[in-house]
Amino acid sequence: MILFSNEFETPSLEMKVFPLIGDSASFLSENKSMEWSDNNITDELASILLIVGGLIVAFSKAKDEDEYISKIRTESLIWATYVNYGILILAVIFVYDMAFFNVMIYNMFTILFFFIIRFHYVLYITKKSLNYEE
Amino acid sequence: MMKNNIRVERAIKNITQAKLAEIIGVSRQTINAMELNKYVPSTVLALKIARTFEKRVDDIFFLDDDD
Repeated sequence: MILFSNEFETPSLEMKVFPLIGDSASFLSENKSMEWSDNNITDELASILLIVGGLIVAFSKAKDEDEYISKIRTESLIWATYVNYGILILAVIFVYDMAFFNVMIYNMFTILFFFIIRFHYVLYITKKSLNYEE
Repeated sequence: MMKNNIRVERAIKNITQAKLAEIIGVSRQTINAMELNKYVPSTVLALKIARTFEKRVDDIFFLDDDD
């Protein structure tokens, strides 16, 4: 999806893959279930990199890790989950067909994204309030 | 939720937030958040603070009426 939106030549890595869940509905599907077949795995690699990179950025320890930051991190995670599912509910109500499929793909990554934003925003606010005290 | 006297105790001993944070081993944000009543410390942290000020925990941290 994200690769399609680029103008550049996306590298096409052909490889034999083994889909556990293919398009079992259609008889003529390219990737049959439980059979080795060819596929361009660039999109899979991009997704994995995005997910692993997002996890590393989101959950790595802060410089001076103490219990207050742990509490902020937990609360940010819960907040991000609420916001993510809230937007998902809105999408379920208002988006249909192929556009909904796109939304679902973005939704895979938005929870980490919201968490990172919220966590660093709260950290920034607490650091700023420090400057007003002594 | 909970009130505390940390600011008063700090003034009595005449130390800054940064110094207190250093003594206890937490970040300055934690001390600041506690003084603003934004954060309820864990038991271990409360005990450490009480020991630093040489007072009892009950003399520094107070439950609110609605608890």
